[in-house]
Amino acid sequence: MKTLLTIRENSYAWVTSALQGLTPLLLPICNKPFVEFLVDFAVLAGSREIRLLSDGPLQEVEQYCEDGSRWGVQMSYAHIKESDDLQTIFEKNRRFCNDSKVMVIDGFVFVGYDKKNDYSDLFNSMPDGTVASCTTGSIRLFTVSESNMANNDETPVSLTPIDSVESYYDLSMHILRHESSRYVLPGYGSEPDSYVGRNVTISKSAEIIKPVSIGNNVQILAGSVIGPDAVIGSNVIIDRKSRITESIVLDNTYIGEELDVEHKMANRNTLISPQGAVSIAMEDPHLLTGIKDTARGIGNLLRTIVHALTAIVLILLLVIPFILITPILAVQGKWKSSRKTCYDHTCKGAISLPDVSIERSGPLSAIAFALSLDRLPTLFRVVGGKLSLIGNAPMAAEEKNLSPPAATPGYRPAVFSYAEAENWPVGGSDAAIVERFYAIHSNPLQDIGLTMKSLINRFHDTTTA
Amino acid sequence: MIIKETKLDNITIVAPVGTLDASTASLLNENKVLSETSATVVLDLSQVDFLDSSGLGALVGIARKKREKKADMVLTSMNDNVRKVFEITQAFQLFDVYDDARSAAEHCRTKTASQ
Repeated sequence: MKTLLTIRENSYAWVTSALQGLTPLLLPICNKPFVEFLVDFAVLAGSREIRLLSDGPLQEVEQYCEDGSRWGVQMSYAHIKESDDLQTIFEKNRRFCNDSKVMVIDGFVFVGYDKKNDYSDLFNSMPDGTVASCTTGSIRLFTVSESNMANNDETPVSLTPIDSVESYYDLSMHILRHESSRYVLPGYGSEPDSYVGRNVTISKSAEIIKPVSIGNNVQILAGSVIGPDAVIGSNVIIDRKSRITESIVLDNTYIGEELDVEHKMANRNTLISPQGAVSIAMEDPHLLTGIKDTARGIGNLLRTIVHALTAIVLILLLVIPFILITPILAVQGKWKSSRKTCYDHTCKGAISLPDVSIERSGPLSAIAFALSLDRLPTLFRVVGGKLSLIGNAPMAAEEKNLSPPAATPGYRPAVFSYAEAENWPVGGSDAAIVERFYAIHSNPLQDIGLTMKSLINRFHDTTTA
Repeated sequence: MIIKETKLDNITIVAPVGTLDASTASLLNENKVLSETSATVVLDLSQVDFLDSSGLGALVGIARKKREKKADMVLTSMNDNVRKVFEITQAFQLFDVYDDARSAAEHCRTKTASQ
């Protein structure tokens, strides 16, 4: 059997308007992209070839699903016109349908199934016709060469329309509360109804009350309460003493301190009420106002001392490899050194810093990069108190700098950046969020740990410069 | 670029082979079946390995001329490279795209018969 997934753009237009920044076909339901549920179901129904058809863009979903090999199926993609009916769709995809039995899942609908069931025998033995339907979609079986159609009375699966923010919220909560065992949901958990992704940091004083689904790269800080009935997406920070209950926090969202989110959806800086999709913008006190100038006081003196001592240790460790390796790389032309002018920690003056890049080809340059030898010259500035060991990536002092340090509270130019430590792409807006977060949350001991993390990340970094 | 022409049930299938860009779009425009006749044709893109905006412009121009003559040009057998260009430009909304030349020819025959 083969599967045709036909999803028209107008059926998911509400996602684009209500949940900005999300790709509708990859809309996460309990942290699993919508399209994956369809693929899983098609696989359970015995399909080995799946074609996704839409009159809207497919680029992002194609990048995500690729050729389907990770599910053991062959996925292909094609476009239809808005006016194409099912008969036309069959004609346009005749080579794919090729006289075999075809299951057509039509519409932006959620197929309720059970992963423990094998639907292949059932679907192959069923006559052509509608298997299940709802207001916005259907599942139908066709054999292209046959024309006899019947409605199947028994419906082995259920269909739920996803046609509004409310239906999306209700569906996610229903799956989390009652049906999580029926689907393969991402994450692991030592207990049922609790799914936790990779690289999740949960403070000892945070409380997790199941059922919960937590994505990847999540930080849950001290005193927070997550659950019951909480879906936390990936790349999310739940700040201190916040409470998330009966809510969905979508990817790339920051929940500020002491915020109670109940029966809501949070998408980036927008808080949405499922009923009526009323939304308000969340003001982030750390990003907008109120960050204290951390470059003052006794705490800063302690930080400067700790950073300087750590820098001395690193210099002692790196100086011998530096002396042995860098001359060879310089001769090979792989060690490129220049200078750049950056804002200093006062945001008013400028400092000139060595800017070294290593051409990453060959074992020596790989070792030099892994050992962070390119950072050694700047470590001396840490000892001199001109730079921090870890903080913000130094911002170039250019006239047209779009985000000058004056707009970056707690700016501390450093040898290593917090974004590097957390493995976020340096220089992007996401990196700016991480750096601002640590501008108020980090302490000197944590800085040492994050510096070590940056150093270790350099070992694992396989990208070429 | 080479342009092959075959007949399937009295419907002409035109199959350009190679690159369809600014340097070769004129060859397509000069093709008699595509530009001069008022017959509905099938354009088989299976052997087009690259398509740029000039090539796409040529296809849109040919389809427009065909439709002015109450005929049409339907496309078939797009490979992934070509399909992505159609997706980025949303050009798939302008054409009927089939995955099989035979069904495209059948569509053309039905369309011609109904006129």
